[in-house]
Amino acid sequence: MLKNRLMSILGLLVVASMILAACAPATPAATEAPAVEPIAAPAEPVATEAPTAEPEPTAVPRTTRTGGWLDSITMIGVSPDSVVTQLQAGEVDLYASTLGRAEDFKSAQDAGLDYSQNYGGTYELTFNPYGGGENGALFDASTGKLNPFAVSAIREAMNMLVDRNYIVQEVYGGLATPKFFPINGAFPDYAMLADVARELEAKYAFNEEAAAAAIGAEMEKLGAVKNADGKWTYNDELVSVIIIVRNDGDGTRKPIGDYVGAQLEKIGFTADLQYKTSSEASPIWIRGNPGDGLWHIYTGGWITTAVSRDDGSNFLFYYTADGLGQPLWQAYKPTEEFYAVSQKLNNNDFATLDERRELFANALRLSMQDSVRVWLVDQKAFSPYRPGVQVTSDLAGGIQGAQLQAFTLRFADQEGGEMTYAMSDMLVEPWNPIAGSNWVYDTAPKRFINDYGVIADPFTGLAQPQRIESAVVTVKEGLPVGKTLDWITLEFAPEIQVPADAFVDWDAETQTFITAGEGTTALRKSVVTYPADFFETIKWHDGSNFSVADFMMLWIMTFDQGKEASAIYDEATVSTLETFLSAFKGFRVTSTDPFVVEYYSDVYALDAELNVFTNWPEYGYGNAPWQMIALGNLAEANAELAYSADKADANGVEWMSFIDGPSLEVIGKYLDQAIAENYIPYAATLGQYITAEDAAARYANYKAWYEAHGHYWVGTGPYMLDKVFSVEKTLTLTRNEAFPDLADEWAGYAAPKIAEAEVDGEGRVTIGTEAAFDVYVNYEGAVYPANEIKEVKYLLFDATGALVVTGMAEAVADGQYVVKLSAEETAKLAEGSNKLEVVVVSKLVSIPTFAAFQFVTAK
Amino acid sequence: MTKTTDVQPNDVASYARKAASGTLTRVARYTAMRLLTLFVTIVIGVYLTILIANMGGYVDEILKGDIRERTAISISNNPTYRDYTVEQRNVLIQDKIRLEEERLGLNRPFALRSFSYLGNALTLNFGRSLNMVSDSGSKEVRNIILERLPSTLVLFGLSNLVLFFVSVFLALALSRHYGSFMDKAIVALSPTSAAPPWFYGIFLILIFAAVLHVLPFGGMVDAPPPDNWFEYALSVAEHMILPASALMLASIFLSIYNWRTFFLIYSSEDYVEMAKAKGLTSRDIESRYILRPTLPTIITSFALLLINLWTGAIITETIFNWPGLGRTLFRAVGLYDTPVIVASTIIFAYLLAITVFLLDFIYALVDPRVKVGGN
Repeated sequence: MLKNRLMSILGLLVVASMILAACAPATPAATEAPAVEPIAAPAEPVATEAPTAEPEPTAVPRTTRTGGWLDSITMIGVSPDSVVTQLQAGEVDLYASTLGRAEDFKSAQDAGLDYSQNYGGTYELTFNPYGGGENGALFDASTGKLNPFAVSAIREAMNMLVDRNYIVQEVYGGLATPKFFPINGAFPDYAMLADVARELEAKYAFNEEAAAAAIGAEMEKLGAVKNADGKWTYNDELVSVIIIVRNDGDGTRKPIGDYVGAQLEKIGFTADLQYKTSSEASPIWIRGNPGDGLWHIYTGGWITTAVSRDDGSNFLFYYTADGLGQPLWQAYKPTEEFYAVSQKLNNNDFATLDERRELFANALRLSMQDSVRVWLVDQKAFSPYRPGVQVTSDLAGGIQGAQLQAFTLRFADQEGGEMTYAMSDMLVEPWNPIAGSNWVYDTAPKRFINDYGVIADPFTGLAQPQRIESAVVTVKEGLPVGKTLDWITLEFAPEIQVPADAFVDWDAETQTFITAGEGTTALRKSVVTYPADFFETIKWHDGSNFSVADFMMLWIMTFDQGKEASAIYDEATVSTLETFLSAFKGFRVTSTDPFVVEYYSDVYALDAELNVFTNWPEYGYGNAPWQMIALGNLAEANAELAYSADKADANGVEWMSFIDGPSLEVIGKYLDQAIAENYIPYAATLGQYITAEDAAARYANYKAWYEAHGHYWVGTGPYMLDKVFSVEKTLTLTRNEAFPDLADEWAGYAAPKIAEAEVDGEGRVTIGTEAAFDVYVNYEGAVYPANEIKEVKYLLFDATGALVVTGMAEAVADGQYVVKLSAEETAKLAEGSNKLEVVVVSKLVSIPTFAAFQFVTAK
Repeated sequence: MTKTTDVQPNDVASYARKAASGTLTRVARYTAMRLLTLFVTIVIGVYLTILIANMGGYVDEILKGDIRERTAISISNNPTYRDYTVEQRNVLIQDKIRLEEERLGLNRPFALRSFSYLGNALTLNFGRSLNMVSDSGSKEVRNIILERLPSTLVLFGLSNLVLFFVSVFLALALSRHYGSFMDKAIVALSPTSAAPPWFYGIFLILIFAAVLHVLPFGGMVDAPPPDNWFEYALSVAEHMILPASALMLASIFLSIYNWRTFFLIYSSEDYVEMAKAKGLTSRDIESRYILRPTLPTIITSFALLLINLWTGAIITETIFNWPGLGRTLFRAVGLYDTPVIVASTIIFAYLLAITVFLLDFIYALVDPRVKVGGN
């Protein structure tokens, strides 16, 4: 009997302990050294320490190692749920995907892990602005329900009803920054307009009373009345606001929806929260007729994968019917002024960058008045890694989105070593350079295998030269193009003539290029010169030398697939080609030794650096030598494989993969055939660049590569794809010793140089007298050189929070600036506490730094 | 007056022929009816799966919305098109949307596609997935499933076989020692099976991987996988320890308890008591008097266990990052990839039907009381 009882109690205890253990909150691991945060982007004013003396610079000897810092990298897929534990246990060295949950951030910090942050995600409230009926705010007659958000003033007031700081802290645990505009707070346009943005942010700051008053006034105009319970009614029915709340993804949109619903309830609306996944929501909000009245607010989210230097088109995209041909967009009715401004910004219809700035500032103001979207936060996701790991992280794309990660990933103070690099998934879809996988989990490994003509600066989005010697960009006079970096030459010309012998199109039947002929002009010309020893020093991973044919194959493939007469015609590429041809004006190889390429187009970017066309053999989904494309083309032409998923499905063949699967056998078959025939693809054109010996050597090297590595993927980058294990979701990369550059070539890009700023001065200023304030700008304890600072702006807010004066601080010395307020300017201030806010914009990082100083004014 | 009837040999043979003929007819009729019934059940089951997986056609609307959102964001975020006007990008977006809808067959009514799916399924023509690819990059549904089958079988097959046989034999032993300490311990521990395998998996990972560092966190093999097949097999075995333990821990006590209770019923039958009284050994009693009459149930349970391997274990595979069928099917459901869902369902349906069909005959073989097609 006693035994029975004991056993029963024992059993119950086991079950109870398991349940309790499972329900208990995660116990933080032992705290080690505090985490280092390479990126700190304060959106709110921050006070920093007083400047300290600049340490003596010490010369760092350069390495003699070529290629990547590491001997090998093993890439694996790891569940985000366990990655912090695995990092802590040393199973994984770096997690390149991002985590966004506050609890993960705390765990990573508690575990003593380092991390980098990026700003890819953005969340907002998308409003249904449809309005009809007698008051212009009714859904279609069949429903006859009131849509308060048809009224722009109500939408505008919603900006003040939501407390973005609350969302940042309570929903994101600090892993976000408040957002008011359709531009990212970490990107250059925000830095350029920081003064305007700050003014508007102050104007639309959280103010429940003001929001309720503004919305109440508009509701009354619409004919709504509040009932005895304080609820808005229209035609004796409660005004219900349907909020479609996304409950999937990282889970943060659900609390946002709950919060917005609660805020609306507070001011008298009846919130109807409908929780849905992306799949369930999209037929309603993006495809459904907004006039049906099935929703009022949707918790929207957007991502950015690269630093954008020109967000001018965002207004037309997000606020006007031109943005997207979907029913919701067709319901957008911006004011004439806003639409005109949006169009001008979208079409670069301005003469100078100053004019653009004015347009942009106006667009920001008008977007707040329109507010078909109320922007909430820019999310700051993070990628954790073990202490001692160094890597570059793109401000938008994070680690896995940074081109430079391949060049900077290393164990600190160590050359060589093996690193385990994890992402949340691996090897998702087939790899082929023309239309293969574009999953970030497949793109990230390719960044280690690829090389580039120019590399995107992860902190500014500008292009930096990698494989090119020099570049000259010429644009038509009057176009608002400027340059930031010295490596490029920018010229203006009254007219840019396209040479008659420039190639403008492709004849798929004769397999030759079509020339421009006389009389063609372009808005932009890019001339790129490659180094003299280019074709000797750059080698593909299979040992073949880089050649002009690799470049020419890229050009052929730009056109050929979109031509019906081509053996590899793919309908899916036609619209892409047509879009390209609508602006493309020609290209020409003017010399092969050194290699010089001219490129003509009517499309241009505002930064000269982004107008350089490098012609690098990057096909959109990976670098590729000409023989790789030739074999793929043979397989596609014979309907055995297809580059694109569309064509593969249409033909019932496999989607081409150069790394694994049934494709390898087919590619191998055509490699043998090419070897037997010494095949030269597109012989009518490439025959000028490929000799029979070249072809034989290429194929022989390629076959030897396959025999050694079991796949056909080669590049020219600092690492080579060694082995692929598809089912195990693992791949290995090994250092490319033949890479021409030293491993420390991009060492300066390990971390963004985000300025730290502090403002100091008199705490009491007499109204109507001059005043001066010192601004100190540093980075990690050393002064920030003045030649690396673009500008230091200041904004003066009075005691009511209104912006009184803006201006530029004067540089006094490296890292020191002064803000001088004239007697007239201080005379504009009333008695009370004022705020001087300083915005520091660096040339090296697009994130602006804010610092503030409070002072009182008296007569 | 007594009337005698002489039975002639010819009559016996004739009777035997008639009896055999009757048996054959009965079995043939039963087989035909059974096969027809099973086939109709399969057709209904698979078509219902198609309807449910597509929400009666509403998935088309979901997919169309998803395509629009995905395409718009993809083109808008593509740096290649950043400097093009919104109008130019819109033309591109519309064309991509059209192509994608055509690729997925959304330009054809769902009703028509649903019958295509059904026809292909019944003829085992699995075709191509809508969005998924196999681990090696193939879009053939056959490859998507077959590439995951070995890893599923090796983990779940082995674990379940061990679990099954250990449970049966331990239960048999316990049924002979009713009320012993071990028996009570198993009864007391059986509620622990209320927790699913992934629950134990988390604990095992925390203890043996995170704290003790003696076993891997997950995956099927070391990264990078060893080149040598023997080392590869050892590595797989090492990676199987935790998930297999989790699977077994979550079921073993309840399984033993169930079988033990089942055997107890048979252990108290009169003929078992008689055997005991006659002095037969425990081994003989177990094999002849307990196992024999319970064989149909054991065989049924074993057969269903085998075909249930087909479905994998979604959460356990996820926790251990095990490349099994469960995750593949879960992903297919999430992506509304009907061909993969249908293929998985039809294979399961056929396996189940074949098993049920064969079991009828196996019952007759192992249990003389059962007659195929009899009442």
